[in-house]
Amino acid sequence: MNAAATAAWLVAGGLAGLRWLRVAQAEHYLPGAATRFSYRWWWGSGPENRLFVIAAKIGAVPAYLDYPVGALTGAAALAAGPIGLGLKGRTSRLAWTRRMRTLAAVWVALEAAVVGVGAVAGWTLGAAALAALLAPVLVDVACWMTAPLERRLAGKWVTQAADKLARAHPTVVAITGSYGKTTTKAYVAHLVAPSRSVVATPRSFNNRAGLARSVNEHFAPGTEVFVAEMGTYGPGEIAEMCAWVAPAVAVITAIGPVHLERMGSEDRIVTAKAEILETAGTVVLNVDDPRLAALADTAAAQGKKVYRCSAGGVVADVVADVVVLDEGAQRVVVVAGERVAVIDRDDAMAPTNIACAVAAALGVGIDLDVIARALPTLPTPDHRLAARPHQATGATLLDDTFNSNPAGAARALSALAQAAPEGRKVVVTPGMVELGHRQHEENAAFAMAAVRMGAEVVVVGRTNRRALVDGVTRAGGRAVLVDDRDAGVRWVGQHVGPGDAVLFENDLPDTYP
Amino acid sequence: MPQPAVAFGGPSPEHDVSVLTGLQAVRALAAIGRPATALYWSRSADWFEVDPDLEAGDFVEGPPKGASSVRLVTGPGGGFVGSGRLGRERPVEIEAVVNCCHGGPGEDGTLQAALDLAGVAYTGPNVAGAAIGLDKLAFAGAVAAAGLPTLPRAALSADASPPGFAGPYIVKPRFGGSSIGIEVVQDWPTAQALARTSVHLRRGAMAEPYRADADDLNVAIRSHPSLELSAIERPLRTTGGAPILGYADKYVGGEGMASAPRQLPADIPDDVAAEVRRIASAVADLASLRGVARLDFLYDGTELLVNELNTIPGSLARYLWVDPPLPFGRLLTDLLDEATSRPSAHYSSAGADGSALRSAGSIASKLG
Repeated sequence: MNAAATAAWLVAGGLAGLRWLRVAQAEHYLPGAATRFSYRWWWGSGPENRLFVIAAKIGAVPAYLDYPVGALTGAAALAAGPIGLGLKGRTSRLAWTRRMRTLAAVWVALEAAVVGVGAVAGWTLGAAALAALLAPVLVDVACWMTAPLERRLAGKWVTQAADKLARAHPTVVAITGSYGKTTTKAYVAHLVAPSRSVVATPRSFNNRAGLARSVNEHFAPGTEVFVAEMGTYGPGEIAEMCAWVAPAVAVITAIGPVHLERMGSEDRIVTAKAEILETAGTVVLNVDDPRLAALADTAAAQGKKVYRCSAGGVVADVVADVVVLDEGAQRVVVVAGERVAVIDRDDAMAPTNIACAVAAALGVGIDLDVIARALPTLPTPDHRLAARPHQATGATLLDDTFNSNPAGAARALSALAQAAPEGRKVVVTPGMVELGHRQHEENAAFAMAAVRMGAEVVVVGRTNRRALVDGVTRAGGRAVLVDDRDAGVRWVGQHVGPGDAVLFENDLPDTYP
Repeated sequence: MPQPAVAFGGPSPEHDVSVLTGLQAVRALAAIGRPATALYWSRSADWFEVDPDLEAGDFVEGPPKGASSVRLVTGPGGGFVGSGRLGRERPVEIEAVVNCCHGGPGEDGTLQAALDLAGVAYTGPNVAGAAIGLDKLAFAGAVAAAGLPTLPRAALSADASPPGFAGPYIVKPRFGGSSIGIEVVQDWPTAQALARTSVHLRRGAMAEPYRADADDLNVAIRSHPSLELSAIERPLRTTGGAPILGYADKYVGGEGMASAPRQLPADIPDDVAAEVRRIASAVADLASLRGVARLDFLYDGTELLVNELNTIPGSLARYLWVDPPLPFGRLLTDLLDEATSRPSAHYSSAGADGSALRSAGSIASKLG
């Protein structure tokens, strides 16, 4: 009987381990993520999961006391939940990569150690229950233990990439920012391409390993310009990448409360992003943010070539080198006081991203007239506020599912207003994450703004449900609640028609409740 | 028993077309019972052994799934080397490489030199033949010096002085085999501005008079088992009113050059056809032709001019061999025969008999 209960807890622990390993993979193997997400899932994703976790914890008590009967129900409750977090996943599937196999092996060893110590002490059933309940913590411990090994292994690829860059010595444009990085990168590559052979890091590959992989797989010898996107979760990461990528032109697009959960404060974000400026001779900064304007002054004092970029009129005492004015459907590009191009497009392109891209291209040495000719055909990256008609309903769909910052979300709302001046407006969103202590407030503010401009809000999932409903209610509206994105899409199919517009704002992997 | 290998791709603007040619060659060899190893040269210049049954779409994002990394090693025992069990090296056994790498280092002598030094037999031009074929300026100079008819060509750069002929000009990359980067301009300052700003002209550019009235005529030439010419082709333009036969005309929306619209054989007078053949044979000799090449002419109804030589033409010009018909498998078999029977490199130390060394005295005395 005891053996059966022990086996049940071991199975429950194994299933829990699979779930939290998948979460760890989706969260880039960051130690702490599995535990944080387990708390979010068990306690913050609805009453049924709270019931399950309480049942599991109560059921573990007889196990600790070596009573097998009650212990079985606890194991069953743990094995069943959390409801909604699948074992394999749909959008964010568990991939058995080499790194995942290593992590899983270390995790199994940790579980076995807990159970083994218990067995030696004559407390097998209790230890099995404890190990099962500790599964997310042990996944985090495994992440922490394997981190140095993974760094060493990645080092080999970094060395290869660094050699390749050193041989070709291209002009490197490095781009960071809380948001706008990927879009600005695509713009820079587009503006440089007519005159120079250029390679940009694909998609959103922007950490050390992603950058090394981009260079190893995509960088052709003889390439003249390399555009590298750099993201950061903490101090030192960008400095480390700059050490082997050696940017000539460094760009900071914007500072905002993105990844606040990991970074702590916006000031720490500024400090970490500013590392990109240290070795570059030319720097491009969005001076509409006073903190970046201050960095521009510092860089100028150091004798660097500085391009100040602005959307115009925000910071009165700063003279910007590149200004992009938002005039209705048009973006007017002004360089050194001269209007050089007009972009006549109705997609909601952020003016400062365009300004930063123009400045970076100038920094590389591209002729202004070549840049001006290329500006009207700037690309619209996928899932970043791309508009298209919806076949089934005739409504306009705005896909902004790659955006996860408040400034971009606000711009998306104004695009929604323009897309359906008369018709029904709908926002489908799970809200934004990683905003730390501001997450509730920012999501509520977004929902309020949506309702105030006349949109209905379809709240996807449970991660930000309370905050979004709070915002909708405060603005006097009523929220539609759906369990996942597919349900949101179905709701849209039944409720909109020609002349209407639907904004899909942000998307979360299914490792989020 | 080592089998043939087909090399395709490469860090060249013609990477994509080259993948199409390579996959066609792999399939055609399989169809005649000579399964081939597929060697993919990536846009980033890394080599991979890939599954011969892959489709073109598998290469869109870079090396396809399941590609295994190999290196090209020169020196004794050289060749393509992969990694085997327990980290040991595993040589890829190859009879000869069918070179399908269009443009760039696959067609300019770079790959040929590496294969020579690695001791790997290959089809197509040797180092010298590849180099002159891909250098439009040098090729035109050699053709003119041989007394064959061709357009005058001039080197173009941002500050080059005007040539001895009048505009409008057709501006081309000096090195490159496709239509990428070719533009028609009205005057010399525009050509200079283009040389300064166009990414395609950064490694060198040339200009020649633009002949709006001239059509293209193409003929394929092969050197083995004996010098042989294909039917003469007149390619047709699909993009109405465009001044030149563009990249899209040739490659987009089909299986490459093989499906582009054309008149084959071209409807031209017999004496012009005979002249095409005479000139083509002379050029084959001039450019040390090896393998199968395509020679392009301009013809305006009266005047016949040599334009360009493609030493590794799209689809290996297989579609031009219609009279008498030459199946692609047969063409490839002959190319492989030539690769293994006619050495591509001839190094000679004749004359370096040591007499200069014996009489030299000390090196220091020469420096003093």
